[in-house]
Amino acid sequence: MGFFTGLDAESYDRTYRDRDLVARMWTYFRPHARRLTVISLMILVMSAAGALTPILVARVIDGMSRQGSTEGGLSLAAALFGLGFLVWAANWVRRTVSARAVGDVMLDLRRDAFAAAAGHDLAFFGEHASGRIVSRITSDTSEFAQVVVLVTDLISQFLEAAVIFAVLASIEPRLLPWLIGFLPITFLVAMSFRRLARRVTRAGFRAMANVNALIKEAVTGINVAKNFRQERAIHAEFTQVNRQSYRINLRRGFVLAMVFPVLNALGGVGTAMLVYVGGLNAVQGLITIGAWYLFISSLDFFWFPVLNLSAFWSQVQGGLSAAERVFALIDAESQVVQVSQRPVPRLEGRVTFDRLQFHYLPTEPVLEDLSLEIAAGEDVALVGHTGAGKSTIAKLICRFYEYQGGRLLVDGQDLRTFDLRAYRRQLGIVPQVPFLFSGTALDNIRYARPEATDEEIESLARRIGEGEWLETLPQGLMTEVGERGAQLSMGQRQLVSLMRVLVQHPSIFILDEATASVDPFTEYQIQQALRLILEESTSILIAHRLSTVKAADRIIVLRQGKIIEQGNHTSLMSQGGHYAELYDTYFRHQSLEYVERARTAVAR
Amino acid sequence: MSVAEFVIADAPAVDRSSPLRWIASHVARHGWIVVMLLVGAFGNAALAALVPVYIGQAFNLILGGGAVLGALLQLALLIMGSQVLRGALQLGRNFGAELIGQRLERDIRAELYVSLLGKSMTFHHLQPVGDTMARATNDVREVNLMFNPGLNLVIGSANFLIMPILVAPSFHPALMLTPSLFLVAYGLALWQYLTELRPVTEAQRSAFGEMNAHLAEAVDGIEVVKGAAQEDEEVSRFTANARTFREAFVRQGRVEARFMPLLLLGLATAGAFLHAILLFRQGAIDLGQVVAYVGLINLFGFPTFVSLFAYSQVSLGMASARRILDLINRHTELDQNPSGHAGPMRGEIEFHGVSYSYPGRVRVLEDISFRVAPGQTVAIVGQTGAGKTTLGRLVNRTYDVERGSLRVDGLDVRQWRLGALREQISIIEQDVFLFSRSIADNIAFGRPGASRADIEAAARAAQAHEFILAFHDGYDTLVGERGVTLSGGQRQRLALARAFLTDPRILILDDSTSSIDSATEDQIQQAIFRAARGRTTLIITHRLSQIRWADTIVVLRRGRLAAVGSHDELMRSAPAYRRIFEQYESR
Repeated sequence: MGFFTGLDAESYDRTYRDRDLVARMWTYFRPHARRLTVISLMILVMSAAGALTPILVARVIDGMSRQGSTEGGLSLAAALFGLGFLVWAANWVRRTVSARAVGDVMLDLRRDAFAAAAGHDLAFFGEHASGRIVSRITSDTSEFAQVVVLVTDLISQFLEAAVIFAVLASIEPRLLPWLIGFLPITFLVAMSFRRLARRVTRAGFRAMANVNALIKEAVTGINVAKNFRQERAIHAEFTQVNRQSYRINLRRGFVLAMVFPVLNALGGVGTAMLVYVGGLNAVQGLITIGAWYLFISSLDFFWFPVLNLSAFWSQVQGGLSAAERVFALIDAESQVVQVSQRPVPRLEGRVTFDRLQFHYLPTEPVLEDLSLEIAAGEDVALVGHTGAGKSTIAKLICRFYEYQGGRLLVDGQDLRTFDLRAYRRQLGIVPQVPFLFSGTALDNIRYARPEATDEEIESLARRIGEGEWLETLPQGLMTEVGERGAQLSMGQRQLVSLMRVLVQHPSIFILDEATASVDPFTEYQIQQALRLILEESTSILIAHRLSTVKAADRIIVLRQGKIIEQGNHTSLMSQGGHYAELYDTYFRHQSLEYVERARTAVAR
Repeated sequence: MSVAEFVIADAPAVDRSSPLRWIASHVARHGWIVVMLLVGAFGNAALAALVPVYIGQAFNLILGGGAVLGALLQLALLIMGSQVLRGALQLGRNFGAELIGQRLERDIRAELYVSLLGKSMTFHHLQPVGDTMARATNDVREVNLMFNPGLNLVIGSANFLIMPILVAPSFHPALMLTPSLFLVAYGLALWQYLTELRPVTEAQRSAFGEMNAHLAEAVDGIEVVKGAAQEDEEVSRFTANARTFREAFVRQGRVEARFMPLLLLGLATAGAFLHAILLFRQGAIDLGQVVAYVGLINLFGFPTFVSLFAYSQVSLGMASARRILDLINRHTELDQNPSGHAGPMRGEIEFHGVSYSYPGRVRVLEDISFRVAPGQTVAIVGQTGAGKTTLGRLVNRTYDVERGSLRVDGLDVRQWRLGALREQISIIEQDVFLFSRSIADNIAFGRPGASRADIEAAARAAQAHEFILAFHDGYDTLVGERGVTLSGGQRQRLALARAFLTDPRILILDDSTSSIDSATEDQIQQAIFRAARGRTTLIITHRLSQIRWADTIVVLRRGRLAAVGSHDELMRSAPAYRRIFEQYESR
């Protein structure tokens, strides 16, 4: 990968030995062995036909030069027609077959990569940016599969060069050094251009990124600029950066514009040399006219492979590192491991933490000896500062993370023994930032229970605030929510996620309450939806709203991974302990008293 | 008459009547570069054609026998010299194209930028930022690439295509036949190929986009996927998308494999050779000319392989030019009314049967009427989509009312001079935008040159002073990508500080921040209350406490006025409003 190595490394990346890497890549190509054979055959045909053309022409010219005879000339012309057709036909077969092989390898690899990724636990996704995971599955797989095209392309050019080389060597070894000696120079010139081009290109991209950032800022901030009539100031700034980008990119353009003229001039020098040296030999009768012709016309056959070689290594290396990245994604180890796959009956929802220990990092324990019993049907609110362990408790119940010590039981049975997916089907989970998939609101609501009927969903939706929330959706339940739910407001997204759980009728409901503010009318509907769920499930609520805390049967107060107080709102408030402090910090402003006295308080 | 809100005096005149004319009028300003490009392209091809001619002469020289070494050396030096000169001409062609491309990129970007600054706020609110950005970055870039490599290679290869036809008659007039036939067949084959390829490429690209977008969504929502035990379903959904892509990929491979110009090149080589041999047999040409002619046909190799890419680059560039011009040309009528009323504002606002709908969409506001006395604070509440934000934006004419009238100080807003109206009205949006500069510069944005003392006083009033000082560089702390990230509440308070500094008569505040803790909430309440004091204020809010201290509450429901009045009045008359407060009392 050269220069950029290490910039996109992830902690699960590993280095495979080259041999293992190639062997593993081969497992993907092996099913297409026959196609690869066909491709190789076609390459041989193309190389042979390509090399044969100048050789045949040279032979006829030889004949013509000797006694002006055009003997074999006509059959040669016929042969050239044949060869032209053959090259094209072989190329056709080769391209068609390799498109199929590459397409299939990409498909297999993508499926394997995503299937593996989907199996990793949430710790994995928490640790790694999702954009990078996606690019490994879609882009790296493609680069991987393209390596084969790249390799065959280069092989065909080298074969052509090799055939010509062998013929030249057999006819006239004396001229070879002139031809070969010239190539390293070409190679070096091409290489140094690449290096120079890379440097100016990087500078050019940076300058362009600056312009783009400035435009983006202007476009997004245009209201502010217009509100305060500052258009002229931001225009001046833009003009300066735009001109700078022009200057830098022009320099890059000049370097790139030089590449081919220089190489062509170099080629001209090579040709001139071969014309002179070859002519010298021909005059002395040391070589034939045909051989001379062949030398001059074969320059190109050596020329292109050498130019391509200067780019080839970095591309193949790119393909190999892409393969490495994909395999690392597939091989990343999961921490959550089930000891058996016991089928899960309908759960009552009794949850027991027994001296549970958990940490994300060995040096920083999150839960130490946590013991907690939540009765079936009970509604429990977890409160505490950030980092007190509220979300951890919820995520452990979902079995998103592996714990290190103690026991975690549901209905008296070890969580590690369950068939995980059967278990999760009985959980209703609402994350803090509700996530919707593109599709309709209805699709999203039945995501966890695809068999739920339209009628059932419709009637549940009507139970929330008499269905008033539906009127804010342009097409009701059939409204397209957009990518990640972007077409809906925060409040609407929360309602849809709550509906998703309502339709699911889970045994255990886990809510990480949203902190975003919602208009009071929608808020009222959210509270109603919440109450409907609380009625029928065991609920674990990471509460951020005073109303939710008050609605719970029991409030569990956490500090640094330990339960320090329990009880209901009134009793905990009268204790005047940590809960009272938390109340003053987080909940005070949500109380009706605060709202009512705002009028006088702010005026102070 | 509508006038752009921002123009620059020295803008060059360009023809915007069609994309082609637009590009042409930009190029016309660089006439000498075009000459350099064309001369370079022709000279490059002509000198490339000289090589086989010289080689043919060298063959004749050797075949003729005698003392030829001096002449041979002369030919070799001619080849060398002509090719070095060719390099210079090719550089002229390449760099000419590059120069035009870069200049057009610079100029078009500037033209687009100025035009964006000149467009009304209505335009900017309705035009998605992502779309504008795509045109201002990718499309502008594509126009550059259209010249180099696009047109550079098209013009370059066109000269290579005609050169054999021009040179061949110097050997024998009949030898024009093969290159002419090739030229015609090549043109047809290429045209057919490009027509066939375009939809296939498009299909492959959209299949990839689809696959990528769905995958990204599934990975982002992995917690939901796992929580709902839908992993297998997601994998099979992805596999289906990946398979669709595979089909498109194979289809494109099939089209590319059947590349007819390659066959034509082989046939032309054979045909040229055959023709040359026949003429040689008749004694019409000599061997050197046979060699030269066969070498000349090799010039077709370049156009055969590069044109593919070059033509699609040009068509991409033209499509981009069309998109950019489309954006520049889009009209955004908003009468600036330069001769309108421009006096100081008292801050009275009256809505009389106001209706508004976004172009081509359903009505957002319908028949809204209410009055706000100068200095009053009005809370605007309602569900998402009720029209709260739009209502606020009508006041400073971000949008113009469709029916009914909106008056400020008894004067229809359209009778005000736009500049005077906006200078005295400040809008703080839901997403407060900060520029990537220092905090002090952001606060002083509306009053450049404000003293540090004034800035600090404004920040104090907005309850922002403390958190600003908590940053390492205080007021000089950079905001944005290269600086600190601020929370929604902090951004809002900076925007309030901006407003304190410019002291508008009407403040419209779209407040949807939420406070995690009560202490911050106290500060925000203080800041907003102070900002509202002494000026007319419309607050679009979720906060019950703000609703409680507002003088008037306007309740919107589905674009209509559901209720208006003080808290006590609404508690009596509006059940939906009452319910919100009742649920507290039930606990």
